[in-house]
Amino acid sequence: MKDTDPDVELLARIGNNEPAAVNEMVTRKLPRLLALASRILGDADEARDVAQESFLRIWRQAASWRSGEARFDTWLHRVALNLCHDRLRRRKERPLTEEEALELADSAPSPDEQVETADRSARMAAALAALPERQREAIVLQYYQELSNIDAAALMNISVEALESLLSRARRQLRSQLADTPGLARPGRGKS
Amino acid sequence: MTPERFAYLAEAYGADVQRWPPAEQGAAKALLDSGNAVAGEALQAAAWLDAHLDSHQPVLADSALARQIRQSAPRRAWFWSRYAGWLSPAGLVGVGIAGVVTGMLVASMSVPLPMLSSEVLPSVFDQGDAEVVFTVNAEETEQ
Repeated sequence: MKDTDPDVELLARIGNNEPAAVNEMVTRKLPRLLALASRILGDADEARDVAQESFLRIWRQAASWRSGEARFDTWLHRVALNLCHDRLRRRKERPLTEEEALELADSAPSPDEQVETADRSARMAAALAALPERQREAIVLQYYQELSNIDAAALMNISVEALESLLSRARRQLRSQLADTPGLARPGRGKS
Repeated sequence: MTPERFAYLAEAYGADVQRWPPAEQGAAKALLDSGNAVAGEALQAAAWLDAHLDSHQPVLADSALARQIRQSAPRRAWFWSRYAGWLSPAGLVGVGIAGVVTGMLVASMSVPLPMLSSEVLPSVFDQGDAEVVFTVNAEETEQ
């Protein structure tokens, strides 16, 4: 790597079991991991589980982390993405139960919710959830997680051109959905 | 950069040119500055969607989750607990050695040395000497 990885020093301190470094890593990465997982999975509880599992991997990896092979943040995204993929795969293998379908219906913005920001967020969440898995992943990595196009493409094991194509299709579909009446599909159950 | 290329990039990366591929940013800004209508419209459309994307609120980190995660990290071992593995047996051995040394010391004080006679170095437990001492003290008291 040409530029220095801002997380390497922190990892070394975690490897020495410094409590302050642990706190700093949680402060630095937890919001990022939750944002990634909640947008990919569309489920708050599952996003928290993914974040916790990701941190367990961090603790295990910290002492033996070797700088120069990959940026830590990219590695962490790969870990979290794989955990999300596992969960999405399990969802596909197991159809929705009636109870879960009701829970999803409950997560829709109720008529009583007058808060504009919450309503807009819910509509956006529904539009994201309705995207095909790969398109959603591209938008989340490039737009929300602010990864470079090269890093995002590498994480998805595709070329930059393929990433751009996914992003364009995703944004077209989002624009179309947001203009129409919003639906409430669950991530991983939409078209793919 | 052609207006079509500009529109394609805006469609892929959004309205913030700073987040476009670095190699394309200069030409994109130049096209915008030229007042190209296609580029302007593409950017406006991308900004509309960006505003919607920005309205999405992800799950926020709560203090309970953060605490739980912090507690899952390996902790720094205290000095004594770090060496407890070998300090415990070492301590037992030390106590044992101290006991043996004390026992030997007590034994050496109670047993007369074979090279010296009891007149030169009497034992503290020698009854005869004790009687002599008491007798002398009694005589001094009578006087």
